This record gives sequence, structure tokens and C-alpha cells, in this order.
Amino acid sequence: MPEKPRKRSIFDVMGEYVEAFDALADEMLEATFPEGPSWNTETCCLQALSNVVVTSREVVVTADMPNIEPETVKVEAVDETLIQITAKMKKKVRFTDLGIYHRQGEFSSLRCQNRIQVAFDSEKMKIAFIGGVLEVRFPRKS
Amino acid sequence: MSEAVKIVEKQTIPSEATMIVGLPDVGLVGLIATSYIITELNLEEIAYMDSDLLPPVMVLHKGLPRAPLRFYGNKNFIAVISELAVPAPSVYIVMRKIVDWGQAKKVKRIVSMGGIPVENRQAITEPEVFGSASNQELLDTLTKSGVKVMNEGYMVGPQALSMRYSINSNIPSIAILAQSFYNYPDPQAAAIVLKELSKILDINVDVSKLLEKGEEIRLKARDIMKRTQEEMSRMKKSQEYDMPLYV
Repeated sequence: MPEKPRKRSIFDVMGEYVEAFDALADEMLEATFPEGPSWNTETCCLQALSNVVVTSREVVVTADMPNIEPETVKVEAVDETLIQITAKMKKKVRFTDLGIYHRQGEFSSLRCQNRIQVAFDSEKMKIAFIGGVLEVRFPRKS
Repeated sequence: MSEAVKIVEKQTIPSEATMIVGLPDVGLVGLIATSYIITELNLEEIAYMDSDLLPPVMVLHKGLPRAPLRFYGNKNFIAVISELAVPAPSVYIVMRKIVDWGQAKKVKRIVSMGGIPVENRQAITEPEVFGSASNQELLDTLTKSGVKVMNEGYMVGPQALSMRYSINSNIPSIAILAQSFYNYPDPQAAAIVLKELSKILDINVDVSKLLEKGEEIRLKARDIMKRTQEEMSRMKKSQEYDMPLYV
């Protein structure tokens, strides 16, 4: 006689939901914090830490930009959803300056890219550089 | 079954010391401040944590492998740092072990240093320091030292657990927290916390070198900040922005 399939308890079902939710949360975290080095020896760039805050009126992008020449800051809209910030460093930094001798390379700029999930007006951005942190404000498009 | 977390002692551990805890957290304030104090007070490595609950990582310094979570000390102080972000699910057991070990070593108090995330940090030229303590007497001591009390709010993560387990174990415990960036390394906030710590513990720590090296530290700390941010998200660290309700 074929074995009767065991009826799943509510706890089994809930367990499956929790596992699926955990997997989704991990996937989201991986998308937010992609793996990979925070430097690029080909472009001589170090990746700057950055943050995006979306309010009802504007999009505020900040980036931690130590050791840069403020007048070299460039903020570009790569496309309708992607903002790129770059700036030249006051002094080139080599791996050896950071105590690392098993890699070779030097870095002359800081760079970050941020994907913006809402429509914004890149023509009307306002830039401020205070205490080594760059703040760029874009009005949202209605 | 082997112990999930163990602390391996490399030399005799002092009794009656003050334990200073600086694990990676908001703005890496505690980690930067504690690392600096280790260098300034010339503390020696006295123990390290070994656990399968921590990522499979060793850190190389001057060619030699070191455990990422280490204890430094002299006869008066034990300083705890971690060069990796403690995974959110392991933070309970790691903090419980640190506090239990401190109790076994008869530490006289536990001080945790850290940051309070403030959204407009870049507009603040001189971050303020706030304190919290495990009892009223200690809180009064903080106030007398000029530290403002963090009246209402939430603490989340290693500092919260340090406080919770210290209270359970009846170890006097204080937290000294400076306004800081949430996810950018903040050496200036670390320097300000250290100034307050110097007054409270009556020690002399010159923070000028820390401030001079601020930009270099911010460049070097980008990776650990990024990984710490991942763990802070898992711990729901943003709850520190919330307002508690107690009517």
C-alpha cells in the first residue's frame, strides 16, 4: 500500500516561510553591499563610502571623501538612475603607504556610484563639501 | 562538544583592571578609540578569542597571523578590539563571553566607547559626548566629569549587550558615546570620546596624533566600515534613531 503523504504542520509551513524570507534578506544585503575590492588598480581609484537618502522632495547623496582636492569634485549623472562622484586626491596613495606590500598599485582618486530609485533632476543639483564629506542634493521630479 | 567561544590567555591577566571595549560599530568610534589607546598606553596582547562563530579569518600584522578579536592590557587596563565586524547572530555569545571572562578576571568596571548616529553629522564641528551607566552612582560620576547623560534612547548591538550582561553580572559599567557618522569612519568622534575617557579614568591620552592621522584612518577603515554596516543592518541598528515610549 502506498505510503500516505505526511500532512505538513503549521510549524513546517512557517519554517519554510522564514527560510525563504532569510534567503531574500541575504539577497537584498548582497545587492546593497556587493562583494569585491574597494579599489581598482587599472583606474587608480579607491571606492568612497557613500549613502543615499530619498525624501519626499529631494534625493541626498553623501560620500566620505578624505584626502581629496575639493575643486576636482565631479558629480555626473551617468544615466537617468545612476550618479557618479569622482575627485582627485591631494596625494597619491600606494598600497605600501597602507602597510600592504603583497600588492602593487597606486591610487590618485576616489570614486563612487549610486543607483537612485526615484526620478530626479540632475540639472538642479546643489553641492556642499563639509569636513571631508560631500553632500549632493537633487530635487525630485514629480 | 567543544566550547563555542573560548578566550585563550597568552600571559597572566591582571585583576581589578578597567576593561575597555571597542568593537566595530557606528562610525567605528569605539574601535578607533580603543586601538589608539592600546598604542598610546603601549598595552601588550594578553589574550585572544577563538570561536567557530566568527568568520574563518586571521589578520596578518608584520607577517604574523593574529586572531581578529584580541585583548590587550597592563596592570590597570584590559582593552578589547576586533578587526572584523562581529556577525550579528554571534554578537550575543561573543559579548556574553567577554563579560563573563571579565567577571572571572575580577575587572572593576567595563567601559564601552562608541558613537551615536546623527543624520547631520557633517554640519557638527565639535560632536557632543553622552554617557550612560549601569547604576545611578556611576551616572553621577559621569555627570561630575562633565559628560551629559543620554536621557532617553535605545542602544543596539555590542554596547547594549555589554551593558545588559554587566548588569546581570553586577559589574559596574559605563558607555561613553559621541555624536558620529553612522556608516563613515569618524576619527574626530573617537578623539572626543577619548578626551572624556581620560577625564573619567584620570589618564593622560594625547589625541593630537589621532586627529592628524584622521584622513589616513578614514581611507584605511573603508572596508571594515562597509562590513560593519552590513552587520549593523542585520542587528537593526537603525533603531537607535527611534524614540522610546515610557509613560
